Amino acid sequence: MSDYLHIRDIHKDFSGLKVLTGVEFKVKEKERHAVIGPNGAGKTTLFNIISGKFKPSSGAILFKGKDISGKPPHVLNRHGLARSFQITNVFQELSVFNNVLAGVRSHYGLRYHFFKIPDHNRRICEKVEDILTQVGLTDVKDQPASSLSYGQQRALEIGITLSTDPELILLDEPTAGMTREETDRAITMIDQVTAGRTLIIIEHDMDVVFSLADTISVLHYGTILVSDTPEKIRNDQRVKDAYLGEG
Amino acid sequence: MKQKSISIMTIVVLFLAGIFMPVILKQYHLNMLTEIVIFSLYAVSYNLLLGYAGLLSFGHAAFFGLGAFVTAVAIIHIPGISLWNVILLGFASTVFAGLILGGLLLRHKGSYFALLTLAFNALFYAVATKWHSVTGGDDGLSITRPDLNLGFTTLPLSGLTSFYYLTLAIMGVAIVFCWYFTHTAMGKTVVLMRENEDRMKFLGYNTNISRLILFTFTGAVAGLAGVFYTFHFQFVSISAVSVDMTTAVLLMVFVGGTKTFWGPILGVFVYVIFQNYLSNITDRWPLFMGLIFVLMVLYVPGGLSGIIMDLWQRFFGKKDNNGGESAAAEEATP
Repeated sequence: MSDYLHIRDIHKDFSGLKVLTGVEFKVKEKERHAVIGPNGAGKTTLFNIISGKFKPSSGAILFKGKDISGKPPHVLNRHGLARSFQITNVFQELSVFNNVLAGVRSHYGLRYHFFKIPDHNRRICEKVEDILTQVGLTDVKDQPASSLSYGQQRALEIGITLSTDPELILLDEPTAGMTREETDRAITMIDQVTAGRTLIIIEHDMDVVFSLADTISVLHYGTILVSDTPEKIRNDQRVKDAYLGEG
Repeated sequence: MKQKSISIMTIVVLFLAGIFMPVILKQYHLNMLTEIVIFSLYAVSYNLLLGYAGLLSFGHAAFFGLGAFVTAVAIIHIPGISLWNVILLGFASTVFAGLILGGLLLRHKGSYFALLTLAFNALFYAVATKWHSVTGGDDGLSITRPDLNLGFTTLPLSGLTSFYYLTLAIMGVAIVFCWYFTHTAMGKTVVLMRENEDRMKFLGYNTNISRLILFTFTGAVAGLAGVFYTFHFQFVSISAVSVDMTTAVLLMVFVGGTKTFWGPILGVFVYVIFQNYLSNITDRWPLFMGLIFVLMVLYVPGGLSGIIMDLWQRFFGKKDNNGGESAAAEEATP
């Protein structure tokens, strides 16, 4: 059987600047895979390539055996892949409910319909409520996203990511900028909402990484240094030198 | 739910008021009102682009003018063509033009989009001016309105009152559909794209296709208004497809305000009445209209509907500010 997700020899250079130089790792189905690495290692670039924002310069991304590299984001999303953003990327002026509704109705195929009103579809509305409960935003569902606290905006970011009911989720530093307590709550929440799905997470916070991940890949200067279980990573001399030792 | 019933009541009241107008108004004013109803649809379609989707187009008159010219050409060259077929032909040709132009434009946004639409408008204008044998060039085309065939009977539309009723019915239904559209999946997709197009892509939306659909739709609606423009004046000249016609709709929409659904309709009322009034006094009325536009943009960017919404909020408090087309207004507020 082929691998669930196989990142195969991905290269990316931006007009001569080599950001990724042969990234290679595999993700098993339902695995929680963390990608760590120092700033500028190319983590977000890698995410942008997996999620279709950028095309790789070379290499392939095999998702359930099919090469999906270079496909546009909306196509990848329909294949069951969703991502969150490091810098909160929500619909600021719209209500929290409408933020999540955007993805839920997309999942149910109600994207461009000229006659159907999405708010009138009970199944869709229930799904939205369900997601809002999961990320703890039910109380503020009628408020515009811009009025939310930072922690709530980050939760909404994850809510939107979940809204298309993806099987593969990419979270880009979900706890960036959070306080200790906020981070702890976020870890519990992420743990719950991603149950039964495959997760790839970029994180700087080692507590988050070690409490969530089954496998960790260390990205260093555009290439994967090592990909292994958290215990092995913790004790790996190369990783210590490259990254953990710094902190 | 409550907001919705208020909106529906507003629509019913406006239709009823419209029905009684021929009893109250003199011919001159009824003429003006017919023009207002037609331009209202034109302005509403433009605001779907500008206010809802955040796309500044300088080419809307290309569609309006295309609808207007197709109408005149069809009536002149196809003897005995029914009114319905003229409307259908006008609508279909603008849909076709919308798909072609939209296909070429859909990757562009912001100023590139605005400039390209301006270029297309200029192209349409050039064709209308030079293709004398079909469009009449500078002379324009004169037509007579066909009668209205209802299947069981035929109504003559030569009189203003009967034409006014037809205009009210068809333009009214089209405007109501545009209002309804702002609540539908597609209508909301447009607003979401204005807010955050990047995120929409990651939620499974093909934003290029969305823009194409919206561009074609608003173009076709403008084309429908153009059809009735020719019916109304029983004449069409190259001014219908000129950039002036685009500026006119821009002015109407800005005066009324882009942040509510009904703002542009209010803008049309003010524009048409003011223009009639001014042009009776002075030949230099465009100068004054331009001045008003500059002042509006500088000092009242929210337009008249913005002022009304502010006042409403001040006097009736925050809770009650949801009257009228609130749902649309809420979402159209950038």
